[in-house]
Amino acid sequence: MKDRYAWSIWVLVTVLFGAFFIYPAVTIVGEAFGQKGGGWTMDYLFAVLQDPVYVEGLWNALALGVVSTLVTLAIAFPLALFSHRYDFFGKNWLSVLVLVPLILPPFVGAVGLKEMLGVDGALNALLIRCDWMEAARPYDWLAQGRFMGIVIMNALHLYPILYMNIAASLANLDPAMEQAAENLGCSPWRRFWKITLPLTLPGVFAGASIVFIWAFTELGVPLVFDYSRVAPVQIYDGIKDLGGNPMPYAVVAIMLVISAMVFAASKWFLGRSPLGTSSRPKGRSHARALRGVKSLLVSAFFLVIFLFASLPHAGVILLSVSNDWYQTMVPEVLTIRHYDEALRHSLVVPSIQNSLFYASVATLLDIVLGLAIAWVVVRSKIRGRALLDSLVMLPLAVPGLVMAFGYLALSQPGKPFAFLIGEQGNPALLLIVAYAFRRLPYVVRSAVAGLQQSNPVLEEAARSLGATPVRALRKIALPLIGANLAAGAILAFAFAMLEVSDSLILAQQSEHYPITKAIYTLLSTLGNGVQLAAALGAWAMLFLSVAIIGAAWIGGKRGGLFKV
Amino acid sequence: MKRIGVIFGLLAMIVAVPVILQRESATASPESAEDRLVILTPHNESIRYEYGEAFASWWREKTGRSVYVDWRTPGGTAEIRKVLDAGFAAAEARGALGMGVDVFFGGGDYEFKTQHKPKVGLGRLVRLEVFDRHPEWFSERGISPYFSGEQYYNEERTWVAACLSQFGICYNEDGLARLGLEAPRSWSDLGDARYAGYLAIADPSKSGSVARAFELLIQDQMQQAIAESPAPSEREAALERGWARGWQLIMRLCANARYFTDSASKIPQDVGQGDAVAGMCVDFYGRSFSDEWKRADGSSRLRWVAPAGGSSLSGDPIAVLRGAPNARVAQAFVEFVLSDHGQHLWNAKPGGEQGPKEKALRRMPVRRDLYTAERMQQWTDGEVNPYEVTGSFVYQPELTTKAFGTIRSLVRVIGIDSHEEMKHAWKALREAGFPQEATQVFFDVSELSYAQMGQGDAGLGSSDGLVVARRAAELGSKFRAQYRLAEKMAQQSLTKGGKP
Repeated sequence: MKDRYAWSIWVLVTVLFGAFFIYPAVTIVGEAFGQKGGGWTMDYLFAVLQDPVYVEGLWNALALGVVSTLVTLAIAFPLALFSHRYDFFGKNWLSVLVLVPLILPPFVGAVGLKEMLGVDGALNALLIRCDWMEAARPYDWLAQGRFMGIVIMNALHLYPILYMNIAASLANLDPAMEQAAENLGCSPWRRFWKITLPLTLPGVFAGASIVFIWAFTELGVPLVFDYSRVAPVQIYDGIKDLGGNPMPYAVVAIMLVISAMVFAASKWFLGRSPLGTSSRPKGRSHARALRGVKSLLVSAFFLVIFLFASLPHAGVILLSVSNDWYQTMVPEVLTIRHYDEALRHSLVVPSIQNSLFYASVATLLDIVLGLAIAWVVVRSKIRGRALLDSLVMLPLAVPGLVMAFGYLALSQPGKPFAFLIGEQGNPALLLIVAYAFRRLPYVVRSAVAGLQQSNPVLEEAARSLGATPVRALRKIALPLIGANLAAGAILAFAFAMLEVSDSLILAQQSEHYPITKAIYTLLSTLGNGVQLAAALGAWAMLFLSVAIIGAAWIGGKRGGLFKV
Repeated sequence: MKRIGVIFGLLAMIVAVPVILQRESATASPESAEDRLVILTPHNESIRYEYGEAFASWWREKTGRSVYVDWRTPGGTAEIRKVLDAGFAAAEARGALGMGVDVFFGGGDYEFKTQHKPKVGLGRLVRLEVFDRHPEWFSERGISPYFSGEQYYNEERTWVAACLSQFGICYNEDGLARLGLEAPRSWSDLGDARYAGYLAIADPSKSGSVARAFELLIQDQMQQAIAESPAPSEREAALERGWARGWQLIMRLCANARYFTDSASKIPQDVGQGDAVAGMCVDFYGRSFSDEWKRADGSSRLRWVAPAGGSSLSGDPIAVLRGAPNARVAQAFVEFVLSDHGQHLWNAKPGGEQGPKEKALRRMPVRRDLYTAERMQQWTDGEVNPYEVTGSFVYQPELTTKAFGTIRSLVRVIGIDSHEEMKHAWKALREAGFPQEATQVFFDVSELSYAQMGQGDAGLGSSDGLVVARRAAELGSKFRAQYRLAEKMAQQSLTKGGKP
């Protein structure tokens, strides 16, 4: 790829990224460096670093990030490897079902989990019924062992991200390498450590960096466990403080730096391995058919992970059909009245239309930008490419609420982003931009992993035969990394549909609400608000499940969603 | 192609369900409406829906015109303040009068007082015409400027209470039985160490009305101390004693706390579900949730009580914002909310004449003249006349108003930010049977004397964020050290004594 193209893409993307991500982020985070009466100061930053409560919060967040990533990897890698190596009972369905935990509707997911793990929740009801627990002394799951509770919930929520990335990497693995090792008498374990694992590292790092930053900045799960001494919760609490506390912005700045450092370290580590030079698969690997107990055992592993990961989802669904669910394993009386009340609400239909529109356009934008960025990062040799690669990961590290207030401040009449607000205050463009830049890392990581594994020689051959860069991209590279792009795009779309902070703050008029704000609105209905929100949340889960399973099913006809 | 057809068919069916079920509304669609009204509010969806529908019908009857009510709901009071700050800052920068919003509805009087006189710039509220149109509503029998020490409208007439609310205690009867506790009747009851880990506390740092609840709790202790020593010569000592007792009670509550939240519905929800056993809760949330879990015999596992003392009847205001684009409709909306119909709607049973269409709102009207036997029969809480049952507690602004911001920050510093150390110390104290010396160390509030803090702490009240942060860190370190010491002493006493 000629540097000229790379530089023009670099400049374009950096300008867009600078304008729509860095600028609003700096506008808000800048509050941590603004001095009273003008000028800049580092005092807030030092004050945070000297305050033991904030320092402990940062350490706890870091620990949650690292441990969650390791546990997530321990779940996702075997899943992806089994799915790649073997054919087993129910494989087609199980390998798609394990993706479903991603689509937990906001707000009610937490309530669903509490219905399961609460003092008077379903799990304790089961244990009491089995005489494994005294009814007078129920165990308080949410309050005891909070750290590991959060890690497990993070891992069960986030493993699909790693699973999809590793699955795409394995699909791109050249089976000849593994076969060669096998033919030379290499044991399965040795083959795994020496061949399979090193070759899938781009996918592992792509997914793990997202999982780490996600878990490091995760707000919702620590809030469910009421774990307040962790940086994201401290930021959230601080931002909402009526006293106008500037410290949380300084914490955001520190988290940004840590995220960027961790990402840079992982890239440095990856850069030392001889990856990116691997040849293209010369054949398609064939999964080995498992039979009997072995087949059932692998299926059971998938099923168990799926069932555990779906606990909050099951909670939401049962909650949405319950009259009252208390001290029993499942609600004693089932009803559809919440669905009737929730779905006929005047907010719902417009919010569905809005969300579909916002999320689809944002995803399209992500695919175009993500592909362009990945192209520059992997295929060009220009100096600024590493910087660009690190820059685009930053949206994961800035809390949603911070970005939302940044966009809000800049989109006021007379401010630079005012042009993004349409007639009658329509925030469609603003929300699309906000969604697109926040979800961009998923597409970039997937596309980068795909390009790293596909051999540039093929594209160079096309170029030398006279194909234009665009044609080489369309005819050679795109089909080769289609699976990676699809994986990233699905994540971007699902997360855009379920995006919370921007949706709550930027969609101000009910006619422009996305579906998450409609769920949030129903939540505040007196009395059965939680059940109404659960009903609309369950509707959203159904829609996204059909969309994701449908995409996999359609892709399956072409050899599987993550196969090339 | 067949597969694509099946998937899209399924998706279309899923989308079709809400399309078919859509309900009709009295408010016009945004495109077809002749008038528009933009309301910024933290009120819940039930209130928004009922007031939107009722006002649209009332407006059509009065003017023959249709109206679209555009509810803006960025979140709670904290988010609303940020939206107002950003909106008015941008408006002022471009020389505009307003930010395109007409009415500010609900959120507690503290926020309205702040918006009436913000730290920077002009006042953001305009004079309400309802005072001139209906002076009869503002007599002693209707809405008086003050009741039980609480203000219901300001001198400049830029805001007025639209309804009343009271902070109280919600509790779960099963949970109390499990912990061997009696039903709580006062804030002090919640200080019982058996509540440890099961008390849901509202977060005063994010809500003015919660901060007020904490202020009242302290003031109640001060008033009791004054009553114990009424002689003027002992007043100062009594104030100091009451103030200290108030803080020690807050420390007990914080030590028992499971969490601190700014979500009004989380507390009754968690208490009802048994995750917490009791919590601080606003009256109408407590009553609504209690109703939701009503059993066949009319009882409910979730109960709400107004605490004896330490809780007043505060007003939840409404105001018209400066530069409102639809000022005429906005003023009319305020008039509607204070009218017989608008007031009746707060508490009327659903389905009745001028009552809500879907759900009872369970809030108390502010107009005292409407609390008649005949009208109250149609109310959901017809047996409650808050003007008659507020108890003997009267809020005395001169005692604690100046310390309001300090109280809010201090609860955060010594209770919320230091919660981990506090909980561990509390556990050690409980296990050791509250040995005297360690308990004294734990409850040492000499650092927070009334003489020093009663008029507001200079550091915590500073307009310089850094000064506030440093003062908070300094106080926080002291209290955390104190909690750690108390924990150590309690553990040592346990080792020495063998048994608590």
